[in-house]
Amino acid sequence: MTEPTQKKILWKPPWSFAESAFIVTGIVLVGYALQLFLGRFKFDILIWPNNLFAGGILLFALFLLSLKSRSRFFQWLSGIPLTISLLTALVILTVIMGLTPQVTGNSPSQRTVIDILGFSRMTSSWPFVLVYFFTLVALGAVIAKRMKAFRWKDYPFYLNHTGLWIFLFAAGFGHADMRRYGMYVEEDTDYPEWRVYNDKNEVLELPLAIRLNDFTLDEYDPMLAVIDRKTGNAIPESKPEYLQLDSTQTGGKISQWEISIDKYLPQAVRNSDSTYKTVFMPGSCPAVKVRVKDKMSGKTQAGWVCCGNYAQLYRVIPLNAKYSLAMTRPEPKRFASDIEVYTRSGKSVKHVLEVNKPLTIDDWTIYQYGYDNEMGKASGYSSFELVYDPWLKLVYVGIILFASGSLCLFWTGRKKKGEVKDDHLE
Amino acid sequence: MITWNSFTGFAIPTIALWVVAVILQYSVRKQLWAQLSTVAGILLFAIFIGGFWMSLERPPMRTMGETRLWYSFFLASVGSITYLKWRYKWILSYSLVVAIVFILVNIFKPEIHSRHLMPALQSVWFVPHVTAYILAYSLLGAATIVSVVQLYKPDRINDEELSNFADNLIYIGFGLLILGMLMGAKWAKEAWGHYWSWDPKETWAFITAAAYLLYIHMRLQSRHRRFTLWLLPVAFIFLMITWKGVNYLPAAKNSVHVYAQ
Repeated sequence: MTEPTQKKILWKPPWSFAESAFIVTGIVLVGYALQLFLGRFKFDILIWPNNLFAGGILLFALFLLSLKSRSRFFQWLSGIPLTISLLTALVILTVIMGLTPQVTGNSPSQRTVIDILGFSRMTSSWPFVLVYFFTLVALGAVIAKRMKAFRWKDYPFYLNHTGLWIFLFAAGFGHADMRRYGMYVEEDTDYPEWRVYNDKNEVLELPLAIRLNDFTLDEYDPMLAVIDRKTGNAIPESKPEYLQLDSTQTGGKISQWEISIDKYLPQAVRNSDSTYKTVFMPGSCPAVKVRVKDKMSGKTQAGWVCCGNYAQLYRVIPLNAKYSLAMTRPEPKRFASDIEVYTRSGKSVKHVLEVNKPLTIDDWTIYQYGYDNEMGKASGYSSFELVYDPWLKLVYVGIILFASGSLCLFWTGRKKKGEVKDDHLE
Repeated sequence: MITWNSFTGFAIPTIALWVVAVILQYSVRKQLWAQLSTVAGILLFAIFIGGFWMSLERPPMRTMGETRLWYSFFLASVGSITYLKWRYKWILSYSLVVAIVFILVNIFKPEIHSRHLMPALQSVWFVPHVTAYILAYSLLGAATIVSVVQLYKPDRINDEELSNFADNLIYIGFGLLILGMLMGAKWAKEAWGHYWSWDPKETWAFITAAAYLLYIHMRLQSRHRRFTLWLLPVAFIFLMITWKGVNYLPAAKNSVHVYAQ
């Protein structure tokens, strides 16, 4: 590259790095022109069956191109320099994306330069969409070229490249068909719920209904903390110390206070004399009887501490003018909804829905989303997220192929000395 | 019961064994003793991780301090294994020194609060997802050192054997990186409703993977050697942003991946 005698004339075939970089830069610039004139890319135009037609045309075009696989153009399209240029463009665009806070949903975008150029909605900006699409074309050409010279021993190549292509294809072209809704279902009602909210908070009716039989919430045991009476923050503020309560806990130390646990009641109700007793009922909450010794002053005091909930007041022990001993609210450990789902096709499925354990029915996936945080265990409703994604199966095909290919990398590695790797090259 | 309070008791002997291993490597001709000392340190450290795991009743992979345990463990293990295969002394001592640094950080700045595992993190994908990533980070970190050595010593830029060694680390590390990412995608679908949401952590994971993909493809042709070598330190910076940096990026303050704050 450095010696003038070796310098080849730009645009004289075969095209290499310089030409590829020019063309990819051109694509990005065209993208910005479209961005300025048309605004961001509207994925709605790829809604079913448009995405099927567009995808079919892409596949057919790749097939036609591969018929001329010896042509200079196809060699360039499936060559390393273009791959490098496209990857570089993707890295630059996504680095900008990673440094710019992204706007999601339908919040109206402000008209700063960052918004006009699409930096704040990178994945639906024209330059990103065009580079993504062109990557699909080039990656498709790479696969087509290697398919024409099929060798079994290239299986890691096929798994990796085909898996990635299918994933990018299904994720990109299928994006417009994806729907996400929220649903709130009340417990113990006689009829199921089928109305959902979209991200604009509009109510829609689904071909799918859910009845909530039971909602359960398990909580972790709470912790004791010394809090600043003014701010309510646990101390030391930079790294708060907590004393975990459980049935075996006997005591511990927070800052200058030695705490010993006399009695811990996970489900307690306050008596009229400000003591607590165990009662199993929805409004019960954890309470603990402690003795606290201030090692600085030598003063010891005893009393009850309770975190409180919607039904009961919290209770702290004032330690001095500045600090109090308090109990944290229990954190959720597991929440689950016993539901029954009815589809228009006449199916009915019973399932216990949990975080990380969604239910898939037809092309829908139903998720446990939330509950009435204020009411906790006594929550009268459970909220679900319903996601419709007919392209998901194809995405998983891509993921499985790509993952298998990644495993192959463990033993393929670099070839031994002297052996030339010929990926992408003829 | 092995809790965090026992950490120093395990960490100091581990460090001692590894320091002895590094000294023996360069002072005694026979490498067996250095190897034995390394392995003894790894075993001791593994006992701590195992016992700590049991006392926590959840995998110790949640807080920064906990993931650093694995980073130290895998660095020492991977260093040991690659030494056995390739016989580069420096790779073993490098991995041991970095592993020791991570242990020291954990002694002086543990960042390990007793925290509860929120429901979204309770998944079969948790352990394989995080382990694959940590292992990938260790291998890619080692490859970065190779590239820095080559960049620093101009006569080694065309050392094909050394480059191939770095490539072997990169291929395995990249394979693990992709496996970690795809397992994360499956997990995200189960927990958050979508396999890829361009959450800041996901965006930077994509950038990291794309940068290593750039390196792998540059190595398939022979031009621009220096540029190719520079890709590794740059990719590793992206990796560090993915791993730690996103916790501090203003663009990522709403990331669903930031748990430990």
